[in-house]
Amino acid sequence: MTQREIMLKKIGTYKFVLKDLELYLDTHPKDEMALSKYAEYEALLKPMVKEFESRFGPLTVSSDNGNKFLWVKNPWPWDIEEDD
Amino acid sequence: MFVYEKQLQYPVKIKRPNAQLAKIIISQYGGPDGELGASLRYLSQRFTMPIQELKATLTDIGTEELNHLEMIGAIVYQLTKDLSEEEIKKNGFDAYFVDHTTGVYPASAAGVPFTAAYIQSKGDPITDLHEDLAAEQKARTTYDNILRFCDDYDVKDPIRFLRAREVVHYQRFGENLRILTDRLDSKNYYQFNPSFDKKCFKKK
Repeated sequence: MTQREIMLKKIGTYKFVLKDLELYLDTHPKDEMALSKYAEYEALLKPMVKEFESRFGPLTVSSDNGNKFLWVKNPWPWDIEEDD
Repeated sequence: MFVYEKQLQYPVKIKRPNAQLAKIIISQYGGPDGELGASLRYLSQRFTMPIQELKATLTDIGTEELNHLEMIGAIVYQLTKDLSEEEIKKNGFDAYFVDHTTGVYPASAAGVPFTAAYIQSKGDPITDLHEDLAAEQKARTTYDNILRFCDDYDVKDPIRFLRAREVVHYQRFGENLRILTDRLDSKNYYQFNPSFDKKCFKKK
């Protein structure tokens, strides 16, 4: 795996925790333990996304790209990256 | 509104192309129990859902199905990348190839193009939730069938992830059905359509 893939996998893991909690909270919106887990993982995810985006470009389209529109940059999610 | 995230929900990195697997996995892209049908079904049904839990669940599961559609597209793309004409012919991929080359097209394993006839949006939440529960089980069986033919870990791993999500979604839809019927008159759940006949809910 490349450094980029390793970081992206970590981000994906945290995003997955949030997604699964989101579906659970849709039917249990008052479950306090699930709500605090959601906040906990959201707090872990945020700095990781920030670091990833500063190194490899944006994960969601945004104007915060410096002087280039880095959104267009390869690889796209279906591309295969060569190992380091 | 939708915002795209430039990342697959679960990583797909297939090192060995395999046209034979691509030929069957395409069914989860545009086949009868595939991810395109799943996302369209839930994202269409949600508009007439009468209670907030159902609106939220159908929106969030419908959105997750779009992630799954993208993962299946990535699997098919990577399985058919850099194939030689000889491999295409040997693996029986030539019938697909003649119409689409290696473009990802929503069709079943048998080549039937995607049709909205695979899904229903009945405008009755009890009916729609039963369709959704069945859809998750049909998709789960399809993934089980795909796994029978997978001998490559790189393919098995994301397919197993997708299979597990069908089970979770089934669970969530089951809870929604219970939440809905708990708010209806248990003497006869079927006397009214809870989306159309507004007076059917119990007084709080």
